[in-house]
Amino acid sequence: MNVAIMKTKAEQALSEAFASRAGELPGGEAAAKVRLEALGHFGALGLPHRRVEEWKYTDLRNAMKEALPPASGKASLPSNAEVISVLGPLATFAAHRVVFVDGKFAPDLSDLVADGAVTVSSLATVLASDGDAELLAAAGSESNAVVALNSAYATDGAVIDIAAEVTLDRPVLVVHLRADGNAVTTTVRNIVRIGEASEATVVEAFVKLPGAATDYRCNTLTKVAVGKGAKLSHVKATLEAGAGIHLANWLVDLDAKANYRAFHLTAGTGLARNELVITFAGEESEIDLSGIFIARHGEHVDTTLVVDHAVPRCISRELFKGVLDDHARGVFQGKVIVRQDAQKTDGKQMAQVLMLSPDCEFDSKPELEIYADDVVCGHGSTSADLDEDLVFYCRSRGIPLAQARALLIESFVGEAIEKVEREDVRDALADIAREWLHRAAAEKVAA
Amino acid sequence: MKSIPSCWQPMQSLAFPCSEQEVLAGVQGAKVAVDAVFDSVSVVTTFKEELAKAGVIFCSISEAVREHPELVQKYLGSVVPQADNFYAALNSAVFTDGSFVYVPEGVRCPMELSTYFRINEKQTGQFERTLIIADKGAYVSYLEGCTAPMRDEHQLHAAVVELIALDDAEIKYSTVQNWYPGDKQGKGGIYNFVTKRGDCRGRNSKISWTQVETGSAITWKYPSCILRGDNSCGEFYSIAVSNGWQQVDSGTKMIHLGKNTTSRIISKGIAAGFSQNTYRGLVSAHRKATGARNFTNCDSLLIGDRCGAHTVPYIEAKNSTAHFEHEATTSKISDDTLFYCRQRGLSEEEAVALVVNGFVRDVLQKLPMEFMAETQKLIGISLEGSVG
Repeated sequence: MNVAIMKTKAEQALSEAFASRAGELPGGEAAAKVRLEALGHFGALGLPHRRVEEWKYTDLRNAMKEALPPASGKASLPSNAEVISVLGPLATFAAHRVVFVDGKFAPDLSDLVADGAVTVSSLATVLASDGDAELLAAAGSESNAVVALNSAYATDGAVIDIAAEVTLDRPVLVVHLRADGNAVTTTVRNIVRIGEASEATVVEAFVKLPGAATDYRCNTLTKVAVGKGAKLSHVKATLEAGAGIHLANWLVDLDAKANYRAFHLTAGTGLARNELVITFAGEESEIDLSGIFIARHGEHVDTTLVVDHAVPRCISRELFKGVLDDHARGVFQGKVIVRQDAQKTDGKQMAQVLMLSPDCEFDSKPELEIYADDVVCGHGSTSADLDEDLVFYCRSRGIPLAQARALLIESFVGEAIEKVEREDVRDALADIAREWLHRAAAEKVAA
Repeated sequence: MKSIPSCWQPMQSLAFPCSEQEVLAGVQGAKVAVDAVFDSVSVVTTFKEELAKAGVIFCSISEAVREHPELVQKYLGSVVPQADNFYAALNSAVFTDGSFVYVPEGVRCPMELSTYFRINEKQTGQFERTLIIADKGAYVSYLEGCTAPMRDEHQLHAAVVELIALDDAEIKYSTVQNWYPGDKQGKGGIYNFVTKRGDCRGRNSKISWTQVETGSAITWKYPSCILRGDNSCGEFYSIAVSNGWQQVDSGTKMIHLGKNTTSRIISKGIAAGFSQNTYRGLVSAHRKATGARNFTNCDSLLIGDRCGAHTVPYIEAKNSTAHFEHEATTSKISDDTLFYCRQRGLSEEEAVALVVNGFVRDVLQKLPMEFMAETQKLIGISLEGSVG
């Protein structure tokens, strides 16, 4: 049966805007070709909706009723002090800082040290100079409309190259700052490449200036390549307080004996979807993915993982914790694939959620797809409200209700934060989470 | 109508608990009433008079349509509507027979009820319909056994089973499915696309599904519970064994609608040969289903490196008082365990059978006594040739 597929207003606008914007997008002919091809994929796919299995619980077509124009880039640049102020605890540790304002590189606010060990450049510059169009290509662009849109419209982003056999003392902090007072769309593409036997930490922070609009669209994609024997800690803090839509994809390829640790902190975003696709390309690699999400009011936070054990002898660990309040909705989808020859795979996954209000919702789909036999794989998923006995115990010890609740929730999410190895980064993340939770708990008790 | 002895013969040849044949025939104290359905036609129903004394109606559905139209009209299609899915629609359109059970208010059914399904004819499908109603405070335990002879072509089995439990009623539904799974090359075998659903309509009602899946080339089967009544309870215990080129995609749906409803899912999947074994299930709590509880445990065992075991659970909690726990593991039989058994003088095949029987023990214990011993043997037979 052939049914004419109706395009929504947003889908039409997203497809049609390309013709007028193509000239502004960085890159030469090769890049334009990649963009056009990706746009074609988007045109065929449309925005994902409930009937697309991977988007069963996050109906983007329904949520994104209209497309917003791209950022004008005319918002006045904040001062260094303002950046530090919005970063809050994330500014407390020493870092190589690179700042993007509304998806555009801001060299004056960045603090880069070019010492040969690490090179950080802006994607727009890289595309303009040598035109390496491969940076714009992304696996999954033909099946994931959000990835396709990112390839088509990416304006800028950080290209981080870490040489072989170096250990970075300071993390690289990539700040994506929202400044535009109008509701706009930003599309960024980051590239992280870490050479053989090196060690580094990369932190991506998504924050907003006080004057930025409440509504926004952000589409970010980070391509990560971890070299042989290298170790990368990759942290993302999504704190774009507002009612917008934040869509993030991390595509990670691991060489042999690599170690990759990722942590996601998501709080205060209207609709956020963090999708991680990890592919083991070399044997004896290890990953540890963890994260916390805190959602209140009508917020919607979706964490989707695909861990592809394509080769033998790899280890994967996932631990995600969520706290949902009011009408918030949390989604966790974790798919672990063990291919036929990926023997000796060891995979463990856990998703736990605290539901603080009778009206919140948690949907979980932890999946195992196993084609090899010599494996040890398991997953777990739990959801429940706060244990009233524990609250009572705290109160019987003289702790006020709001504090008792915040304390219990803090210890619940603390287990995931503990997974971050660097102490300074871990403390900063714990501070952010604590601040959020105490404020939420106080507001709840006051209400 | 065929005579009773002739209809026992196929049961002897396959997995139906033939060692309890005498019991089935009513020789010993414990009794099981049997409705035998061959190629969608009910050929014999035993113990009808004795059941009638207790007020229990156990007959073929064609007879129920004639004798008890008020019950059939009231309940048929009330759990699985005609348009529920493609195969349910097909069944609703063409079903000719099946079993009907009505246990009146306050009656505890005096014996196990059982239906034996068999596909005998070539180039046919089987489309039977089962309707079981347990009125207020009633209890019934129902067993279902299925077999089919070896044929080169695929045959379709598209049944619909509807269970209705009213206030304080309990239905225990056990299945041992041993359709023909196809030969070693994956040729032939039954396509088993069945819709099974129970409705815990009354307060404090309980529906318990226990299934042992060994046959059929492709199985799509998700016996479900709609927990509508307050304090109602749903259970699902499953053993799914796949070997050769079989594909098993089975699981359950626990839909919590009433208050303080509980459900429990224990699923054990064993994949061998080139088979694919999937657990696919849904646990959901409605916004008003306060106090819902679920515990799910899905374990998979892999025998051989060319088979697959997959777990696809959907867990949807729409209110904070729902406590849902889900855990799943996948592994193979450890070499140490096998070595230990071999060292004690067991052959490799016996050792695997022993470990597998230990693995599925939790579920085996939920089967009625009549089925337990036979099921153990059946699992052993199904896994024949999977090692060594």
